[in-house]
Amino acid sequence: MSSQPNTAAPKASPKKKPFFHYGRIEGLKDFSLALPAILFLLLFTYYPLVNSFYLSFTDWNLIKPIKKFVGFDNYTRILTDDRFYHVLKVTFLYTIIDVIVTLVLGLLLALLFNKQSKAYGVMRLFVFMPYYISMVIASIVFIWILNPKYGVLNSFLGTLGINPVQWLNDPKTALFSLIMVSVWKSVGFTMIIFIGGLRSIPLDYYEASSLDGANKFHQFWHITVPLLSPTTLFLVVTSFISSMQVFQSVDIMTGGGPLESTKVMVMWIYQMAFEEFRAGRSSALVVIFFLIIMAFTALQFAVSKKKVHYEG
Amino acid sequence: MTANRVGSTFRLLVALIVTLIMFFPLYWLLITSFKTSVELRSAVPTFWPEAFNLDNYKAAFKAAPFGRFFTNTLIQTVGIVFLQLNIGLLAAYAFAKGAFAGREKLFLLVLAALIVPEQVVFVPVYIMMSKLGWLNTFLALIVPHGASAYGIFLLRQAFKSINNDVIEAAKVDGAGRFHIIYKLLVPIARPTVVTVIILKFIGSWNSYFWPLIMTNSNKMRVLTTGIAMMKDSFAGNESMSYNLIMAGSVFVILPIVILFIFAQKYIVAAMANSTFK
Repeated sequence: MSSQPNTAAPKASPKKKPFFHYGRIEGLKDFSLALPAILFLLLFTYYPLVNSFYLSFTDWNLIKPIKKFVGFDNYTRILTDDRFYHVLKVTFLYTIIDVIVTLVLGLLLALLFNKQSKAYGVMRLFVFMPYYISMVIASIVFIWILNPKYGVLNSFLGTLGINPVQWLNDPKTALFSLIMVSVWKSVGFTMIIFIGGLRSIPLDYYEASSLDGANKFHQFWHITVPLLSPTTLFLVVTSFISSMQVFQSVDIMTGGGPLESTKVMVMWIYQMAFEEFRAGRSSALVVIFFLIIMAFTALQFAVSKKKVHYEG
Repeated sequence: MTANRVGSTFRLLVALIVTLIMFFPLYWLLITSFKTSVELRSAVPTFWPEAFNLDNYKAAFKAAPFGRFFTNTLIQTVGIVFLQLNIGLLAAYAFAKGAFAGREKLFLLVLAALIVPEQVVFVPVYIMMSKLGWLNTFLALIVPHGASAYGIFLLRQAFKSINNDVIEAAKVDGAGRFHIIYKLLVPIARPTVVTVIILKFIGSWNSYFWPLIMTNSNKMRVLTTGIAMMKDSFAGNESMSYNLIMAGSVFVILPIVILFIFAQKYIVAAMANSTFK
């Protein structure tokens, strides 16, 4: 690199030159670099967000030139619709079971696979890989695995003497089948994050408590679990948000059926907008849905303030 | 000592079984793609195909234009990665090293976009794309994803950790901002840059919701929406056609599996840094 201007630079800017002016131009140049990102986010995130609020007060079918203002009509119709409470129940049921099963299994896998060795490293990759496989493909493979007649899972259960399960065709098991795919896909991610958390716990804590005569089980509850709580909070919040938004697997595997037993929120929003062409009503549902997610995320942070131990 | 060894052997055994279970669906996908329709419906599923016949791959290509889907997916993915990376690098520099009024507030505005899911914005964006005449074009698939708050966040973190002296020295040498970003900071922050590229590549490659809404012609379908359409076209007769569907699926996941194997050290490192501690 050339360093020629080195000596010239200080001379070129004598004390009296208005530094403020120079700084302002430099500041504008810096700001202009952030501008594309800000413009994109304003256009494709914030404007649509505000627009969704606006649309939620109109009656509009996506095509008509006129959007009729209807006040809170869309909201009252949704909130007095039994289907709303059904969809809400299905979405929460899915989310709660999905989050709990993924986190508990993820932690168990983290404890099992947290070992520094080549063999364990390779096995971890296999467990982690499904996280990056397309949800569409995962769903299709599971439809085939869960096929009541020719599926490999029922064939396996048959050897244990269990009668064929109807999986996706039975309202009692359909939601559970969707959770199965989700857990398969994300448990490896949860495991990797938990392993990161486990490795950040100082080993002295375990050594000190062993000297005090604590057994492994005791250590797990009194050292591992509390010191892992920031990691757990991160996972609860992120998996809660993504589970609430479940759509792909439902669209591919059940379409919301059988008997609407897997009709989740985003499925309903999608159907309302693109099958019933009620842009206004679906926007009201979007707003309600967004507020529910925000409220529960805030609640998780509020609860965690008391429970989460940040070290140091 | 021996109890210890029994313990670690047992642990290895359990870990191995878990690994096999987790790998099974992908194994099943691959194996099914080689089976004949008759073998698909055998009373007891075969865990090893009777013959590795590649006819299903040919038939899958006949049943749906997978070449087209593949090209579309590649264009969509490369377009999104290119836009997000460049817009992200510039913004990351501005937010990490720039000096302008309201910098932190604007950065918060960028970060807050993280909590807005695409399901909340898709109707207005759909309308916008329709007005622009962009539906069923790559513009609708790529442009709305031009900026990623998460990408900007990761790159800003990486730039922040670079010493200011390096930048000041380059400025004294007369280097402009683009030179500083692309020639100086990108090489130093290479692991993060690579991670952002990989994660965005995988995410765009697998995306389904967005292409489902923005495109509806075979000419513009991507692999995910294409394979879903192929599956629907076999409706009622699916159990005879899973070999074809799985052959098509192999095309969707093969690039990702290969990328994952080569890039796993970057991915795992990125995961380890992603919690909000």
